[in-house]
Amino acid sequence: MNTDVEDLLRSGMEQFTTEVRAPAGLAEAAGRRQRQRRRRVVARTAVACGTVAVTAAAVALVVVTGGSRAPAPGTALSPAQARTVAYVTRRVEAALASENLVFVARSDNETTGNYVTWAYGPRSRWEAFTSSSCGHVLANGNCTNRGGSEPVWAQGTALVGGRLVGAYVTYFDHRYSLSPRVPQLRPWQASACSTNAALSLAAPIIPTVHWSSYIHATLACGAASVTGHVRVDGVETTEITGKPDTVKLSAGYTKVVKAKFATVRWTLYVSPATYLPVRMVGSTQTYGDGSSYTSSFVTNVQWLPATPANVAKALVTIPPGFHRYFGLDQ
Amino acid sequence: MADDRTVGELERFLAERADRLMRTAVLLTGSRDAGQDLLQTALERLLRHWRRLDGDPEGYLRRTLYNLAADGFRRQGRLQRKLLLLRAGEPPPADPITEVDLRDALVRLLLQLPPRQRAVLVLRYWEQLTEAETAAVLGWPEGTVKSAASRGLQRLKDLADGWQNTDSHAELKGQRA
Repeated sequence: MNTDVEDLLRSGMEQFTTEVRAPAGLAEAAGRRQRQRRRRVVARTAVACGTVAVTAAAVALVVVTGGSRAPAPGTALSPAQARTVAYVTRRVEAALASENLVFVARSDNETTGNYVTWAYGPRSRWEAFTSSSCGHVLANGNCTNRGGSEPVWAQGTALVGGRLVGAYVTYFDHRYSLSPRVPQLRPWQASACSTNAALSLAAPIIPTVHWSSYIHATLACGAASVTGHVRVDGVETTEITGKPDTVKLSAGYTKVVKAKFATVRWTLYVSPATYLPVRMVGSTQTYGDGSSYTSSFVTNVQWLPATPANVAKALVTIPPGFHRYFGLDQ
Repeated sequence: MADDRTVGELERFLAERADRLMRTAVLLTGSRDAGQDLLQTALERLLRHWRRLDGDPEGYLRRTLYNLAADGFRRQGRLQRKLLLLRAGEPPPADPITEVDLRDALVRLLLQLPPRQRAVLVLRYWEQLTEAETAAVLGWPEGTVKSAASRGLQRLKDLADGWQNTDSHAELKGQRA
Protein backbone atom coordinates (compact mmCIF):
# COMPACT_ATOMS: atom_id res chain seq x y z
CA MET A 1 0.00 0.00 0.00
CA ASN A 2 2.85 2.32 0.85
CA THR A 3 4.20 1.99 -2.67
CA ASP A 4 0.78 2.83 -4.09
CA VAL A 5 0.51 5.90 -1.90
CA GLU A 6 4.05 6.94 -2.79
CA ASP A 7 3.40 6.57 -6.52
CA LEU A 8 0.08 8.35 -6.32
CA LEU A 9 1.58 11.13 -4.25
CA ARG A 10 4.41 11.55 -6.72
CA SER A 11 2.13 11.71 -9.74
CA GLY A 12 -0.37 13.78 -7.76
CA MET A 13 2.27 16.43 -7.08
CA GLU A 14 3.12 16.50 -10.77
CA GLN A 15 -0.56 16.80 -11.66
CA PHE A 16 -1.31 19.40 -8.98
CA THR A 17 1.38 21.76 -10.26
CA THR A 18 1.37 20.97 -13.95
CA GLU A 19 -0.21 24.31 -14.87
CA VAL A 20 1.90 26.35 -12.47
CA ARG A 21 4.23 28.85 -14.11
CA ALA A 22 6.43 31.37 -12.41
CA PRO A 23 5.13 34.92 -12.88
CA ALA A 24 7.29 37.35 -14.82
CA GLY A 25 9.44 39.89 -12.99
CA LEU A 26 10.37 37.70 -10.02
CA ALA A 27 13.99 38.87 -10.02
CA GLU A 28 13.03 42.53 -10.32
CA ALA A 29 10.52 42.20 -7.47
CA ALA A 30 13.10 40.46 -5.27
CA GLY A 31 15.60 43.24 -6.06
CA ARG A 32 13.02 45.88 -5.16
CA ARG A 33 12.20 44.16 -1.89
CA GLN A 34 15.84 43.87 -1.03
CA ARG A 35 16.45 47.56 -1.73
CA GLN A 36 13.49 48.47 0.50
CA ARG A 37 14.83 46.22 3.20
CA ARG A 38 18.29 47.78 2.95
CA ARG A 39 16.76 51.24 3.29
CA ARG A 40 14.95 50.12 6.44
CA VAL A 41 18.14 48.60 7.87
CA VAL A 42 20.08 51.75 7.06
CA ALA A 43 17.44 53.97 8.65
CA ARG A 44 17.33 51.88 11.83
CA THR A 45 21.11 51.73 12.07
CA ALA A 46 21.41 55.46 11.56
CA VAL A 47 19.07 56.08 14.45
CA ALA A 48 20.93 53.69 16.73
CA CYS A 49 24.56 54.37 15.86
CA GLY A 50 24.76 57.71 14.10
CA THR A 51 25.30 58.30 10.44
CA VAL A 52 29.08 57.77 10.47
CA ALA A 53 28.76 54.02 10.86
CA VAL A 54 25.76 53.65 8.59
CA THR A 55 27.31 52.22 5.46
CA ALA A 56 29.54 49.65 7.14
CA ALA A 57 26.81 48.53 9.52
CA ALA A 58 24.28 48.14 6.76
CA VAL A 59 26.68 46.04 4.74
CA ALA A 60 27.51 43.91 7.76
CA LEU A 61 23.84 43.37 8.57
CA VAL A 62 23.08 42.41 5.03
CA VAL A 63 25.89 39.87 5.13
CA VAL A 64 25.05 38.20 8.42
CA THR A 65 21.26 38.08 8.42
CA GLY A 66 19.24 35.21 6.96
CA GLY A 67 20.21 32.22 4.82
CA SER A 68 23.14 31.38 7.02
CA ARG A 69 23.37 27.92 5.50
CA ALA A 70 24.91 29.29 2.33
CA PRO A 71 28.56 28.36 2.12
CA ALA A 72 30.80 31.40 1.72
CA PRO A 73 33.88 30.89 -0.40
CA GLY A 74 36.77 29.68 1.69
CA THR A 75 34.49 28.64 4.55
CA ALA A 76 34.89 25.08 5.77
CA LEU A 77 31.74 23.07 5.05
CA SER A 78 30.18 20.57 7.40
CA PRO A 79 29.97 17.03 5.97
CA ALA A 80 26.21 17.47 5.46
CA GLN A 81 26.71 20.76 3.64
CA ALA A 82 29.46 19.26 1.53
CA ARG A 83 27.17 16.37 0.56
CA THR A 84 24.39 18.80 -0.31
CA VAL A 85 26.62 21.00 -2.39
CA ALA A 86 28.05 17.95 -4.14
CA TYR A 87 24.59 16.56 -4.85
CA VAL A 88 23.10 19.79 -6.14
CA THR A 89 26.19 20.54 -8.18
CA ARG A 90 26.02 17.08 -9.72
CA ARG A 91 22.39 17.57 -10.54
CA VAL A 92 22.76 21.01 -12.07
CA GLU A 93 25.80 19.93 -14.00
CA ALA A 94 23.92 16.93 -15.30
CA ALA A 95 21.12 19.18 -16.50
CA LEU A 96 23.37 21.74 -18.11
CA ALA A 97 26.09 19.55 -19.49
CA SER A 98 24.11 17.10 -21.58
CA GLU A 99 26.11 18.36 -24.53
CA ASN A 100 29.17 16.88 -22.85
CA LEU A 101 27.66 13.43 -22.90
CA VAL A 102 27.59 11.10 -25.83
CA PHE A 103 24.03 10.31 -26.90
CA VAL A 104 23.33 6.73 -27.94
CA ALA A 105 19.87 5.64 -29.08
CA ARG A 106 18.74 2.22 -30.23
CA SER A 107 15.43 1.87 -32.07
CA ASP A 108 13.81 -1.43 -32.99
CA ASN A 109 11.19 -2.16 -35.59
CA GLU A 110 10.46 -5.68 -36.79
CA THR A 111 9.55 -4.59 -40.31
CA THR A 112 11.71 -1.62 -41.15
CA GLY A 113 14.81 -2.66 -39.23
CA ASN A 114 16.82 -1.37 -36.34
CA TYR A 115 18.67 1.90 -35.97
CA VAL A 116 21.51 3.03 -33.76
CA THR A 117 22.29 6.72 -33.38
CA TRP A 118 25.43 8.14 -31.85
CA ALA A 119 25.78 11.89 -31.39
CA TYR A 120 28.19 14.24 -29.72
CA GLY A 121 27.98 17.97 -30.43
CA PRO A 122 27.93 18.40 -34.23
CA ARG A 123 29.10 14.80 -34.75
CA SER A 124 26.58 12.10 -35.52
CA ARG A 125 26.27 8.59 -36.90
CA TRP A 126 22.90 7.16 -37.74
CA GLU A 127 23.18 3.53 -38.76
CA ALA A 128 20.48 1.19 -40.03
CA PHE A 129 20.54 -2.58 -39.55
CA THR A 130 18.41 -5.17 -41.29
CA SER A 131 15.38 -6.61 -39.55
CA SER A 132 15.16 -10.36 -39.04
CA SER A 133 12.64 -10.54 -41.89
CA CYS A 134 15.20 -9.07 -44.32
CA GLY A 135 18.37 -10.79 -43.15
CA HIS A 136 21.28 -10.29 -45.52
CA VAL A 137 21.17 -7.50 -48.13
CA LEU A 138 22.53 -8.24 -51.59
CA ALA A 139 24.56 -5.74 -53.61
CA ASN A 140 21.42 -4.80 -55.54
CA GLY A 141 19.67 -3.90 -52.31
CA ASN A 142 17.34 -6.91 -52.17
CA CYS A 143 16.88 -8.91 -48.98
CA THR A 144 17.71 -12.60 -48.88
CA ASN A 145 15.13 -13.05 -46.10
CA ARG A 146 17.65 -15.19 -44.28
CA GLY A 147 20.37 -14.37 -41.79
CA GLY A 148 20.71 -12.03 -38.86
CA SER A 149 20.87 -8.31 -38.37
CA GLU A 150 23.61 -6.55 -40.36
CA PRO A 151 24.47 -2.92 -41.12
CA VAL A 152 22.77 -1.60 -44.26
CA TRP A 153 23.79 2.04 -44.34
CA ALA A 154 25.15 4.82 -42.16
CA GLN A 155 24.82 8.54 -42.47
CA GLY A 156 26.10 11.43 -40.44
CA THR A 157 29.47 13.11 -40.14
CA ALA A 158 32.98 11.92 -40.96
CA LEU A 159 36.38 13.46 -40.29
CA VAL A 160 38.15 14.05 -43.58
CA GLY A 161 41.43 15.99 -43.61
CA GLY A 162 40.73 17.18 -40.05
CA ARG A 163 37.35 18.67 -41.04
CA LEU A 164 33.82 17.48 -40.33
CA VAL A 165 31.88 16.65 -43.48
CA GLY A 166 28.60 14.91 -44.23
CA ALA A 167 28.95 11.21 -45.06
CA TYR A 168 26.69 8.46 -46.39
CA VAL A 169 27.85 4.85 -46.60
CA THR A 170 25.97 1.89 -48.05
CA TYR A 171 27.51 -1.32 -46.79
CA PHE A 172 25.77 -3.74 -49.13
CA ASP A 173 27.30 -2.22 -52.29
CA HIS A 174 30.52 -0.95 -50.68
CA ARG A 175 30.03 2.66 -51.69
CA TYR A 176 30.12 6.00 -49.94
CA SER A 177 29.41 9.64 -50.62
CA LEU A 178 30.70 12.80 -48.95
CA SER A 179 29.18 16.24 -48.70
CA PRO A 180 30.71 19.51 -47.49
CA ARG A 181 27.49 20.12 -45.58
CA VAL A 182 27.35 18.67 -42.07
CA PRO A 183 23.87 17.15 -41.65
CA GLN A 184 21.41 18.82 -39.31
CA LEU A 185 20.14 16.65 -36.52
CA ARG A 186 16.43 16.09 -36.10
CA PRO A 187 14.40 17.32 -34.34
CA TRP A 188 16.16 20.59 -34.98
CA GLN A 189 13.17 22.55 -33.79
CA ALA A 190 13.08 24.21 -30.42
CA SER A 191 10.00 22.18 -29.43
CA ALA A 192 7.47 19.63 -30.71
CA CYS A 193 4.77 22.31 -30.87
CA SER A 194 4.28 22.21 -34.65
CA THR A 195 2.74 19.26 -36.47
CA ASN A 196 5.89 18.78 -38.54
CA ALA A 197 7.99 18.61 -35.40
CA ALA A 198 5.58 16.14 -33.79
CA LEU A 199 5.79 13.94 -36.89
CA SER A 200 9.52 13.52 -36.46
CA LEU A 201 8.99 12.23 -32.93
CA ALA A 202 7.21 9.10 -34.15
CA ALA A 203 10.30 7.98 -36.03
CA PRO A 204 13.55 6.60 -34.58
CA ILE A 205 14.75 9.20 -32.15
CA ILE A 206 17.47 11.58 -33.24
CA PRO A 207 18.94 14.01 -30.77
CA THR A 208 18.07 17.63 -30.44
CA VAL A 209 20.54 20.18 -29.19
CA HIS A 210 18.98 21.03 -25.84
CA TRP A 211 16.67 18.29 -24.67
CA SER A 212 15.66 19.94 -21.40
CA SER A 213 14.48 23.17 -23.00
CA TYR A 214 12.96 21.25 -25.93
CA ILE A 215 10.74 19.27 -23.56
CA HIS A 216 9.90 22.25 -21.38
CA ALA A 217 8.80 24.21 -24.47
CA THR A 218 6.78 21.25 -25.74
CA LEU A 219 4.95 21.01 -22.42
CA ALA A 220 4.40 24.76 -22.28
CA CYS A 221 2.61 24.92 -25.65
CA GLY A 222 0.33 22.01 -24.74
CA ALA A 223 1.69 19.66 -27.43
CA ALA A 224 2.38 17.16 -24.64
CA SER A 225 1.56 16.67 -21.01
CA VAL A 226 3.03 14.87 -18.04
CA THR A 227 1.01 11.70 -17.64
CA GLY A 228 2.74 9.92 -14.80
CA HIS A 229 5.84 8.27 -13.43
CA VAL A 230 7.13 4.98 -14.72
CA ARG A 231 10.16 2.88 -13.96
CA VAL A 232 12.18 2.16 -17.08
CA ASP A 233 14.80 -0.55 -16.54
CA GLY A 234 14.72 0.17 -12.82
CA VAL A 235 15.11 3.93 -13.28
CA GLU A 236 12.40 6.35 -12.18
CA THR A 237 11.19 8.43 -15.14
CA THR A 238 8.58 11.06 -15.84
CA GLU A 239 6.19 10.01 -18.59
CA ILE A 240 5.42 12.73 -21.14
CA THR A 241 2.75 11.97 -23.70
CA GLY A 242 2.34 13.94 -26.90
CA LYS A 243 -1.08 14.98 -28.15
CA PRO A 244 -1.93 12.72 -31.12
CA ASP A 245 -1.44 14.65 -34.34
CA THR A 246 -3.16 13.86 -37.63
CA VAL A 247 -2.07 15.07 -41.04
CA LYS A 248 -3.64 14.69 -44.46
CA LEU A 249 -1.15 13.01 -46.76
CA SER A 250 -0.19 14.54 -50.08
CA ALA A 251 -1.78 13.11 -53.24
CA GLY A 252 1.49 11.54 -54.37
CA TYR A 253 2.15 9.95 -51.00
CA THR A 254 -1.45 8.75 -50.80
CA LYS A 255 -0.89 6.84 -54.04
CA VAL A 256 2.21 5.13 -52.70
CA VAL A 257 1.00 4.14 -49.24
CA LYS A 258 -2.69 3.83 -50.14
CA ALA A 259 -3.80 5.92 -47.22
CA LYS A 260 -5.09 9.45 -46.87
CA PHE A 261 -4.20 10.31 -43.30
CA ALA A 262 -1.45 9.66 -40.81
CA THR A 263 -1.83 9.90 -37.06
CA VAL A 264 1.27 10.22 -34.94
CA ARG A 265 1.51 9.26 -31.30
CA TRP A 266 4.55 9.47 -29.05
CA THR A 267 5.48 9.09 -25.42
CA LEU A 268 8.75 10.14 -23.95
CA TYR A 269 10.21 8.89 -20.67
CA VAL A 270 12.62 11.39 -19.21
CA SER A 271 14.77 11.66 -16.13
CA PRO A 272 12.83 13.87 -13.69
CA ALA A 273 16.05 15.57 -12.63
CA THR A 274 17.52 16.48 -15.99
CA TYR A 275 14.72 16.04 -18.53
CA LEU A 276 17.07 13.97 -20.62
CA PRO A 277 15.22 11.17 -22.42
CA VAL A 278 15.63 7.57 -21.36
CA ARG A 279 13.10 5.92 -23.68
CA MET A 280 10.75 6.97 -26.40
CA VAL A 281 7.83 5.12 -27.92
CA GLY A 282 6.40 6.46 -31.17
CA SER A 283 3.94 5.24 -33.76
CA THR A 284 2.54 6.38 -37.09
CA GLN A 285 -0.78 5.02 -38.24
CA THR A 286 -1.74 5.54 -41.88
CA TYR A 287 -5.36 4.99 -42.89
CA GLY A 288 -8.28 6.31 -44.86
CA ASP A 289 -8.09 4.73 -48.30
CA GLY A 290 -9.16 1.22 -47.60
CA SER A 291 -6.01 0.26 -45.74
CA SER A 292 -4.62 0.84 -42.29
CA TYR A 293 -1.05 0.30 -41.20
CA THR A 294 0.80 1.16 -38.02
CA SER A 295 4.53 1.46 -37.77
CA SER A 296 5.96 1.80 -34.29
CA PHE A 297 9.36 2.31 -32.71
CA VAL A 298 10.75 1.85 -29.25
CA THR A 299 13.93 3.83 -28.75
CA ASN A 300 16.16 3.37 -25.72
CA VAL A 301 18.57 6.17 -24.95
CA GLN A 302 21.85 6.10 -23.05
CA TRP A 303 24.07 9.03 -22.08
CA LEU A 304 27.69 8.02 -21.99
CA PRO A 305 30.76 9.93 -20.80
CA ALA A 306 32.65 11.69 -23.56
CA THR A 307 35.66 9.38 -23.59
CA PRO A 308 37.76 9.35 -26.79
CA ALA A 309 36.37 5.89 -27.61
CA ASN A 310 32.74 7.01 -27.22
CA VAL A 311 33.26 10.25 -29.13
CA ALA A 312 34.88 8.30 -31.97
CA LYS A 313 31.70 6.24 -32.32
CA ALA A 314 29.79 9.42 -33.14
CA LEU A 315 31.56 9.53 -36.50
CA VAL A 316 30.88 7.58 -39.67
CA THR A 317 33.98 5.67 -40.75
CA ILE A 318 34.54 4.70 -44.35
CA PRO A 319 35.60 1.05 -44.47
CA PRO A 320 38.73 0.36 -46.56
CA GLY A 321 38.05 -0.68 -50.14
CA PHE A 322 34.74 1.20 -50.43
CA HIS A 323 34.25 3.28 -53.60
CA ARG A 324 33.27 6.89 -53.52
CA TYR A 325 30.44 8.03 -55.74
CA PHE A 326 29.46 11.59 -56.50
CA GLY A 327 25.71 11.39 -56.86
CA LEU A 328 24.63 13.17 -53.69
CA ASP A 329 27.50 15.35 -52.63
CA GLN A 330 27.58 18.03 -55.29
CA MET B 1 23.69 43.97 -3.33
CA ALA B 2 20.76 44.21 -5.65
CA ASP B 3 22.35 46.23 -8.43
CA ASP B 4 20.96 46.00 -11.95
CA ARG B 5 23.67 43.61 -13.06
CA THR B 6 22.89 41.19 -10.23
CA VAL B 7 19.18 41.36 -11.01
CA GLY B 8 20.02 40.70 -14.67
CA GLU B 9 22.07 37.64 -13.71
CA LEU B 10 19.27 36.45 -11.46
CA GLU B 11 16.79 36.90 -14.31
CA ARG B 12 18.90 34.74 -16.59
CA PHE B 13 19.14 32.08 -13.90
CA LEU B 14 15.37 32.20 -13.36
CA ALA B 15 14.61 32.02 -17.07
CA GLU B 16 15.57 28.35 -16.94
CA ARG B 17 14.49 27.26 -13.50
CA ALA B 18 11.74 29.53 -12.25
CA ASP B 19 8.83 27.30 -13.29
CA ARG B 20 10.17 24.26 -11.50
CA LEU B 21 10.99 26.31 -8.40
CA MET B 22 7.52 27.85 -8.45
CA ARG B 23 5.95 24.39 -8.63
CA THR B 24 8.02 23.32 -5.63
CA ALA B 25 6.97 26.44 -3.73
CA VAL B 26 3.29 25.79 -4.52
CA LEU B 27 3.62 22.23 -3.22
CA LEU B 28 5.25 23.47 -0.04
CA THR B 29 2.64 26.13 0.68
CA GLY B 30 -0.54 24.84 -0.94
CA SER B 31 -1.43 27.81 -3.11
CA ARG B 32 -0.02 29.93 -5.91
CA ASP B 33 -0.09 33.15 -3.91
CA ALA B 34 1.64 31.70 -0.88
CA GLY B 35 4.06 29.83 -3.17
CA GLN B 36 4.97 33.04 -4.95
CA ASP B 37 5.47 34.77 -1.63
CA LEU B 38 7.74 31.97 -0.43
CA LEU B 39 9.75 32.01 -3.66
CA GLN B 40 10.08 35.80 -3.49
CA THR B 41 11.41 35.62 0.05
CA ALA B 42 13.91 32.92 -0.90
CA LEU B 43 14.98 34.95 -3.95
CA GLU B 44 15.49 38.01 -1.81
CA ARG B 45 17.85 36.01 0.39
CA LEU B 46 19.60 34.61 -2.66
CA LEU B 47 20.10 38.13 -3.97
CA ARG B 48 21.70 39.18 -0.70
CA HIS B 49 24.24 36.35 -1.02
CA TRP B 50 24.56 36.28 -4.80
CA ARG B 51 28.11 37.61 -4.96
CA ARG B 52 29.38 35.22 -2.31
CA LEU B 53 27.83 32.09 -3.79
CA ASP B 54 30.22 29.57 -5.15
CA GLY B 55 28.55 28.83 -8.49
CA ASP B 56 25.53 27.04 -7.09
CA PRO B 57 22.59 29.46 -6.79
CA GLU B 58 19.97 26.76 -7.32
CA GLY B 59 21.27 24.65 -4.45
CA TYR B 60 21.23 27.65 -2.15
CA LEU B 61 17.75 28.67 -3.29
CA ARG B 62 16.33 25.21 -2.79
CA ARG B 63 17.79 24.89 0.68
CA THR B 64 16.33 28.29 1.57
CA LEU B 65 12.91 27.35 0.17
CA TYR B 66 12.75 24.11 2.08
CA ASN B 67 14.06 25.54 5.31
CA LEU B 68 11.64 28.46 5.19
CA ALA B 69 8.81 26.03 4.48
CA ALA B 70 9.87 23.56 7.17
CA ASP B 71 10.02 26.38 9.69
CA GLY B 72 6.36 27.09 8.97
CA PHE B 73 6.88 29.97 6.56
CA ARG B 74 5.22 33.02 8.12
CA ARG B 75 2.88 30.80 10.14
CA GLN B 76 -0.01 32.85 8.88
CA GLY B 77 -1.61 30.44 6.45
CA ARG B 78 -4.12 29.14 8.94
CA LEU B 79 -7.18 30.34 7.08
CA GLN B 80 -5.75 28.97 3.88
CA ARG B 81 -5.08 25.62 5.50
CA LYS B 82 -8.61 25.52 6.88
CA LEU B 83 -9.96 26.19 3.40
CA LEU B 84 -7.81 23.39 2.02
CA LEU B 85 -9.05 21.14 4.79
CA LEU B 86 -12.63 21.88 3.80
CA ARG B 87 -11.83 21.22 0.17
CA ALA B 88 -10.11 17.97 1.07
CA GLY B 89 -13.23 16.98 2.97
CA GLU B 90 -15.41 17.29 -0.10
CA PRO B 91 -16.29 13.93 -1.61
CA PRO B 92 -14.40 13.03 -4.76
CA PRO B 93 -16.62 12.98 -7.82
CA ALA B 94 -18.59 9.93 -9.05
CA ASP B 95 -16.11 7.08 -8.60
CA PRO B 96 -14.24 7.66 -5.36
CA ILE B 97 -11.49 5.19 -6.07
CA THR B 98 -10.40 6.47 -9.44
CA GLU B 99 -6.72 7.07 -9.41
CA VAL B 100 -6.90 10.64 -10.62
CA ASP B 101 -9.24 11.65 -7.80
CA LEU B 102 -7.08 9.87 -5.29
CA ARG B 103 -3.97 11.62 -6.58
CA ASP B 104 -5.65 14.96 -6.21
CA ALA B 105 -6.97 14.04 -2.78
CA LEU B 106 -3.54 12.88 -1.65
CA VAL B 107 -1.93 16.17 -2.59
CA ARG B 108 -4.64 18.09 -0.78
CA LEU B 109 -4.06 15.86 2.24
CA LEU B 110 -0.34 16.46 1.93
CA LEU B 111 -1.01 20.17 2.33
CA GLN B 112 -2.64 19.49 5.69
CA LEU B 113 0.46 17.85 7.13
CA PRO B 114 2.71 19.83 9.48
CA PRO B 115 5.26 21.91 7.52
CA ARG B 116 8.23 19.72 8.46
CA GLN B 117 6.56 16.49 7.33
CA ARG B 118 5.37 18.19 4.17
CA ALA B 119 8.86 19.49 3.36
CA VAL B 120 10.29 15.99 3.82
CA LEU B 121 7.67 14.38 1.58
CA VAL B 122 8.11 17.00 -1.13
CA LEU B 123 11.88 16.48 -1.05
CA ARG B 124 11.51 12.70 -1.10
CA TYR B 125 8.76 12.33 -3.72
CA TRP B 126 8.89 15.53 -5.77
CA GLU B 127 12.63 16.10 -5.80
CA GLN B 128 13.19 12.35 -5.50
CA LEU B 129 16.03 12.71 -3.02
CA THR B 130 17.19 9.88 -0.80
CA GLU B 131 16.73 10.14 2.95
CA ALA B 132 20.40 11.07 3.34
CA GLU B 133 20.15 13.81 0.71
CA THR B 134 16.92 15.11 2.26
CA ALA B 135 18.63 15.24 5.63
CA ALA B 136 21.52 17.16 4.11
CA VAL B 137 19.25 19.75 2.47
CA LEU B 138 17.32 20.40 5.67
CA GLY B 139 20.35 20.12 7.93
CA TRP B 140 18.60 17.49 10.04
CA PRO B 141 19.79 14.10 11.28
CA GLU B 142 18.82 11.28 8.93
CA GLY B 143 16.75 9.64 11.66
CA THR B 144 14.58 12.75 11.94
CA VAL B 145 13.94 12.67 8.20
CA LYS B 146 13.10 8.97 8.36
CA SER B 147 10.57 9.39 11.12
CA ALA B 148 9.01 12.51 9.57
CA ALA B 149 8.66 10.72 6.22
CA SER B 150 7.25 7.62 7.84
CA ARG B 151 4.74 9.56 9.95
CA GLY B 152 3.72 11.71 6.99
CA LEU B 153 3.24 8.73 4.70
CA GLN B 154 1.35 6.80 7.35
CA ARG B 155 -0.98 9.76 7.85
CA LEU B 156 -1.55 10.00 4.09
CA LYS B 157 -2.14 6.26 3.92
CA ASP B 158 -4.70 6.42 6.72
CA LEU B 159 -6.45 9.32 5.09
CA ALA B 160 -6.30 7.68 1.67
CA ASP B 161 -7.84 4.51 3.10
CA GLY B 162 -10.66 6.72 4.30
CA TRP B 163 -11.37 7.69 0.70
CA GLN B 164 -11.73 4.12 -0.39
CA ASN B 165 -15.30 3.85 0.79
CA THR B 166 -17.96 6.46 1.01
CA ASP B 167 -18.96 5.60 4.57
CA SER B 168 -15.56 6.22 6.05
CA HIS B 169 -15.24 9.27 3.87
CA ALA B 170 -18.47 10.67 5.30
CA GLU B 171 -17.18 9.80 8.76
CA LEU B 172 -13.96 11.68 8.08
CA LYS B 173 -15.91 14.65 6.86
CA GLY B 174 -18.11 14.47 9.96
CA GLN B 175 -15.07 14.51 12.23
CA ARG B 176 -13.74 17.61 10.52
CA ALA B 177 -17.05 19.40 10.67
